[in-house]
Order: sequence, then structure tokens, then C-alpha cells
Amino acid sequence: MSHAQQDTHILSLDRVTVTLGQRTFGPFSFVIQPGERIAVLGPSGAGKSTLLKLLARELVPLSGQAIFCQQPLKDWALPDLSRRRAILPQSHEVAFGLPVDLVIGLGRVARMHDPSLASIVRQAAEQACAAHLLGRRFDTLSGGEKARVQMARVFAQLWDVEQGLLLVDEPLAALDPGLQFSLMEAIYTFAANRGHAILAILHDINQALQGFERLIFIKHGAMVGDYHTPHVTLPLLEALYNVNLAAAVTEDGEMIVAPSLKRKAVA
Amino acid sequence: MSTSIGAISLTSRLTTGLLNRPVWFLWLVLLLCFWVAAWAGAVPVTADDWRVLWRQDEPLTSGAYVLWHLRLPRTLFAALVGAALGLSGALTQGLFRNPLADPGLLGVTSGAACAAALTIVVLAGSGMDIPVAWRFWILPLAAFAGAVGVCLLLDTVARWLTADSIAGLLLTGIALNALAAAIIGLCTYLATDEQLRSLTFWTLGSLAGGSWPLVAVLSLLLLTAIWYVWRLVGAMNALALGEAAAAHVGIHVRHLRRRVIILVALLCGFSVAWCGVIGFIGLVAPHIVRLIVGPDQRRLVPLAMLVGAIILLVADTTARIVAIPAEIPVGIFTALLGAPFFLALLTSVRKSG
Amino acid sequence: MLRVDLLLSDLQTKPARRQFLLQASALAASVCLPQLAWAADKKAVRRIVSIGGALTEIVYALGASHELAGVDTTSLYPEAATKLPSVGYARTLSSEGILALAPNHVIATEDAGPPAVLRQINAAGVPVTILAANDQFEGVLERVTRLGTLLERPMQAAQLVEKMKADWQRVREPILARKTAAPRVLFILSHSPGQVMVGGKGSSAEAMLHYVGAQNTVQGFDGFKPLTPEAVIAAQPDVVLMTDQGLSVVGGVDGVLKLPGVAQTPAGQKRRVVSLEAMFLLGFGPRMPQAAAALDNALLKVMRT
Repeated sequence: MSHAQQDTHILSLDRVTVTLGQRTFGPFSFVIQPGERIAVLGPSGAGKSTLLKLLARELVPLSGQAIFCQQPLKDWALPDLSRRRAILPQSHEVAFGLPVDLVIGLGRVARMHDPSLASIVRQAAEQACAAHLLGRRFDTLSGGEKARVQMARVFAQLWDVEQGLLLVDEPLAALDPGLQFSLMEAIYTFAANRGHAILAILHDINQALQGFERLIFIKHGAMVGDYHTPHVTLPLLEALYNVNLAAAVTEDGEMIVAPSLKRKAVA
Repeated sequence: MSTSIGAISLTSRLTTGLLNRPVWFLWLVLLLCFWVAAWAGAVPVTADDWRVLWRQDEPLTSGAYVLWHLRLPRTLFAALVGAALGLSGALTQGLFRNPLADPGLLGVTSGAACAAALTIVVLAGSGMDIPVAWRFWILPLAAFAGAVGVCLLLDTVARWLTADSIAGLLLTGIALNALAAAIIGLCTYLATDEQLRSLTFWTLGSLAGGSWPLVAVLSLLLLTAIWYVWRLVGAMNALALGEAAAAHVGIHVRHLRRRVIILVALLCGFSVAWCGVIGFIGLVAPHIVRLIVGPDQRRLVPLAMLVGAIILLVADTTARIVAIPAEIPVGIFTALLGAPFFLALLTSVRKSG
Repeated sequence: MLRVDLLLSDLQTKPARRQFLLQASALAASVCLPQLAWAADKKAVRRIVSIGGALTEIVYALGASHELAGVDTTSLYPEAATKLPSVGYARTLSSEGILALAPNHVIATEDAGPPAVLRQINAAGVPVTILAANDQFEGVLERVTRLGTLLERPMQAAQLVEKMKADWQRVREPILARKTAAPRVLFILSHSPGQVMVGGKGSSAEAMLHYVGAQNTVQGFDGFKPLTPEAVIAAQPDVVLMTDQGLSVVGGVDGVLKLPGVAQTPAGQKRRVVSLEAMFLLGFGPRMPQAAAALDNALLKVMRT
């Protein structure tokens, strides 16, 4: 790891382990550079969400070092941290049926003085295809609409900063493919314009292959691979999920992967 | 004819205008309630009594005496206690992201009542000779300590159980409630006739003790609470996202929780200490406000105080005047007046929504 | 909040009243308010508010009923007392309500409250006198004497005391001379069907039972406690004693026999249930000798069955 890299990276994990209940996860070691798009893949229960909790500072490392923007992650004051990294959650529920405008504005609640709040809320809503939902109550929205509002909230949170970190926890799994596509596009655009890095937990291998430039593999609570997407091969994926995969290539040269019918013999 | 039509349209415009500005509307209702409460009562009060009140050189008439020493402090006290209960209810519901939560559910109220019951039975039963000047303070202080004690215990135990989990806190509150109820039951069983009498005063709830010093103390407490809450309401909105997401947007959930809990303990402890157990307002006042203006804590908190003040003031005035010269326990009317109104509001909102 | 500010600023322009507020807060409560209004309102006619059925009875017995301005809900005897303005339940009194009756004296048993209300009435210049009861005949005589002094009727009070003493003597003599075994009595108090209590050691019911030479079978606890079937059976009472009100609440004699455990006692098997009116039996007022006589007669009669 060169000196120059150390100065510019957003986040670095150095042999970080973490415990959740009886299990220990890790060690995790990787570096996230500004503007990177990283997908985290792995079977269910492998520890993907635990990794995300660690990065979100919901869990404290047992050992190793987590550095966020030149400062140990644990030393960040929560309000300061909230201006540099945002998390798009898996569940969208909000208590009491708050109005949509307020929910989006909550992304910026840690800022004491925020004169441009109203205009940022509107722009964030537009970018998340949620402008038409302003003025409605959150609890009257459909699942897809709730996802859009939560996304707008995260956009508002990181609207006027650069080179932040956006953590995404499988937020779109329950949505239809068209909506998934347009929302992922919105996230890419938002992040690219500001140099934010994205780290997303994904179940959809194809989405990861198509939209992300780097893939981190997690299995049995540990990191088992960190690849640039072009280097990922079918056998690597088969080993990660313990299934037979079949691949096809589209007219545009994109690889599409699907589980094959015969099960792979467990190694 | 045309003037009457003009007057009607002006009135209806005024009414719609006011309904669109709930804060002004509720202030107006509260002032109206004060007006009625100050005039209504067992002792007839005339305009002349009011005039005497403002003059130094004239001796107080009996009407003016009642106004100054009994009715005005009690009326203000009722409104302030109602505001304190409404505020603590709004804070608790916001903290637990649960519209059913109120200080009663958390065990704060019963903790205060439990401490009072223990003081009555154990301390008085121990035969200790307490100086008369102390007797006046010892029960309120005990109730206050009980509320604060429950809150601190709640915070500690809940943190041991499940870090930062609000469900754990709620469960702890329910357990503490059961414990307090058991201790109060035990006290009632062990109490002598005389002690049982003191316990009854406590559990019935009464605003009869309202006096200027109490009004002054409670005003100060409420002003401090408002100043303090004002800086927390934005953060309380973020709690609606869930604890994890609130932390993600920069809210220190544990600090916020502790602050809110201590505030609720102060407000509830004070009201239980001086008025006994007055239920229902903490639950219903924030609910009514939520139905009118929605769940935004920044509007909910001040309006819940106003609505709490109105409910308790109306209930207490009713309790004072329906059975003159007798008085009916105020707790009966908080529920009797509040519940139907609440149900009506609930159904009308469901229909229109 | 606004209202409070207004009033506080008003206080600042009124030095004397503001000083009063400071005084009062220094004293921690309105304990020692200057006696202003009601002292001036005092009329030549004495107006009494009586809180406690026994006290009201004594006032009537002293011939001072025309001085009563109001009574509480336990003042049910004599019948005329129920026509007077009622200040409500003794434990939830209203200071303004009582002051509205323009009394110049409030007499009360220690049941009266809340304490803050009694303080407020006192502070308004109306003296509040608490006459404690001790469930003893001598205590009743003392109350009569004290009320006689308060009502400026010492002669009538002395006559009443003499008459009560003579009556008491007449009732007690045969009881003390009696050689038969004392009947074992269980006292059951019931305010509602679900709330059935029995009188234990030191209860007012036990005091009455002792005066008529009967024995309270419940000795395991002090005062009134909820009834438990096993305790009832263990007590093996010869007679169940109740108040008229309590008897009608549980549904008459048949209702009493259905109470858990009662059927397994001698009292239950022989349907020995005695009841007397509550204030008569346990009021400890001027009718106490008559009450003792009535209780004695009722017990003798029922024991013959």
C-alpha cells in the first residue's frame, strides 16, 4: 500500500475482527478509494450484514484498526460522521407516519444550521424519483415509494459533501426489476457526481457484475476474496455459493449468471 | 340582514382560519377555559372582587380571597400539571416510537406512587418521630425520588439487557410496573386504618393542593423543560427512523434517551408528588395532537402541552362545580371528558382519511 | 406559560401581595396565611360544617342542629342531617365548597382530607378542629364534652354524658354478670360483592364485640383484611356479624352462606347471621349504648337457635 493511497482513501480496514453474539467475524482487510463502487457478495448468514454494521459503527471492532478519513472510526463524533457517510437500510419502516418531506429532511438532522434544507430536500427527492411523493404521509406509501423516499433521505444526507461513503444494505431486493434498475442508476449518478464511494451488499450476482467495479466475497464469517470485476470467473462464484452456475454472454458482451439445475458436489 | 350574513361569513372565516392555525386556536381555547375556571366555583365571584384584587388599600372581600388564595393558583396549577403530563407523554411516545407508551406504562408513575406508599406505611409504621415541618415535604420528596429512581433503574437495566434496544426498555418498564403494583398492594395490605387514609389521598389524585409557591416552582420547571426539549425535538423525530438509522444520521441515541428519561422523571415525579396519580392525559394529549397536526415532534411537543393543560383544566373545573359544595376526584373527569372526545376525533379522522 | 408571566409581572407591581408570595414560598406552603377574609365575614350566628357521622349525631344530640351549615356523606343520622348541604366524601373535600357555606368552624374526624384542603380552610380564617376517635366508650364521652365546649353548650354536653353513662351502665351490668360462654363472632364487612373483608384484632368491630361480652374469632391480624375461606373455617365462628349495608350487598343471609368457607362453620350451619346499620353499630356516637344493647340482644336471640 503506497503512501499516496493512504492519504486519499476513504476507509481502510486492517485485520479487523468483530463479535456478534457467540460468533467472531473477520479478519477484514481492505481499502475503499473515493468514487469506488464495491459490491459485497456471499451466501446468507456469511456475515455481510455484520460487515456493514461494522462499517456503520453499530458494532465496535474486537481487534484491528478501522480508519475513516484519516481518523480511527471509533473516534468520530456521530454528527460529524453522519456528514461523511450514509446508510441506506434494508427495511424502510418509519414510525408514526411522518410526512415525506420530514423523513427526507431527517438525513440532515445533525446539522444545527441548515438554511438550504428545503431546496436540498426537493432536489434529493427529484434525484430519487420521489418528487411527486412530497407532501404525502410515509405510512401511506407503497414499498417501492418508501424505498425511493429513504433513498432521497440518504441523498440529502450526503448532498453537499464530496468523497463520502454510501453503505447500501440490499435495499431493492423486493422491488420489480425496472424500478431496481432506475433506482440503482440514481444511486450511481448521485455518487459519481460527488466522488462518493459505494459499498453495497447484494444478492443479485448480475447486478453486482454489471454495476460494480470491485467485488468482495464473504463466506463463513470471513473475507475470502477481493477482486476487480473483470477478474471474477465462474468457478470463483461457484465456490462462493457452493452451486453450479451457468453463464451466458449478451449481445453487448455482458456476462449473465444463473444457477444451473444440477447441484455441484460439495468439495 | 346583510350585516348578519356578513357576521356569519366573518365568523366562519375566523373559525376556518383558526382551525388552520392549531396553536392559536388551542391558546384561545385555553384562555377561554381559564376565563370559565376563574369565574366558576362554589363561592360566587363578582367583578367587584376582581377589582379589589388589584387594589392595595382595600381589604380582600371573601370572593377576592377565594380568587387569590384558592381558585387562581389552583386553576394555574391544573393547567401547568396538565402541560407537564402532556409533555412527558409526548416525549415518552416519541422515545419509544410507540403511540401507546406513556409514563404510566414505563412504571415512572407507579414508581413514584410506590415510593409514597412505602413512605406512608414503613416510615410512619416505624414509629419515627418526624417533625411537623418535615411531614409536609417528606411524601412529595419520596414520590419524586421514586420516579427518578425508576428512571435510572430503567436506563441501567435496559442497557444491560439489550444494548440500545427500546423494546428492552419497554419490557423493563412493564416489569417495574408489576413490581411497583405488588409493593403498593403489599403496603395496602399492611397499612393501618390511618395509613390507608393517606394512601387513599394519594391514589385518588387531587389538585386541591395548588398554591402560588407550587405554581411558581412548576412554571420554572416547565420553562426549563421547554428550553431543554426545544433542542431535542429534531433529534426525537429521527428516532422514528429506528434506533440504528437515527444513529446513522448523527443522533447519539443513548444520550438522547437518557436525557428524555430524566426529563420525564422530573415532570412525572413532580406531578405525582403534589397531585397523586392522574392518568390518561399523558396518553391522550399527544394522540389528539397527532391526529390534528401529524407526528412531527417539533409541533407535537408544544401542542401536547397545550392540549394537556386544556384537558386537565376542564376536568378540574368540572370536578369543582358539578357537585357544589362537594368535589369529585379529578381523575374521573380526565377520563370521562377525554375518552369520548378522543374516540370521536379518532373515528372522524378514520372516516376522512 | 404566558398566563404565568402576566401574573408574575402583576405581582411585581403589587409589593404587598408579592411579599406575601415570597413569605409563603419561604414557609414552603400556605401554612400560615394571614387571616383575611373569613375573619371579617364572621357573623353572630354560629355556622358549623361537620365531617363525620358521629360528630353530626353529637351536634344533633346537643340540640345545635340549627347551627349546622353542611355535613359529609357519612352523616346519615338523624334523617334530617341528610337534607343539609353535602360537602361530599370526607376524603375528597373541597376548600372552596366548604368556604362557600360560610362556616365559622369546621369539625372533623381524622378521616377528613386531603390535608391541603384542611390547611387552606384553616388559612382562610375558619378554624378546623379534628376530633380523633379511639373506638372506646370513654372516647365518645370525651368527644361529646369537647363538642359541648366548642358549641358553647357545656350543660347539655354534661347532661348527655350523664345520660349515656347511665344507659351504658344499664347495658353493661347484665353482660358483665353473665356466666355463659362468650359467643365466637366473625365480623364481615363488604362494600361490593367482590370486596369482602373480615375484622381482625384491634378493629372497631372487635371493640364493640368486647363491650357485649362476645369474642372476635379472628386474631391472626390487625384491622380489616380480605376474607380467605380457610381462615373463616379455622375461626369456627358461632355467629356472623355484618352491617345492614354489607348484608344487602352480598345478597342477604343466603348470600352470606354462599361466601367461601362460611357454610362450613357453626354460624353457617345454623344460619346465625346478625346485622345492624353501619353507623349505628360502628359509628361510636351518642347512640353507642343503644347499639351495644341491640347487638347484645341480637346475639342472645340468635344463639338460642
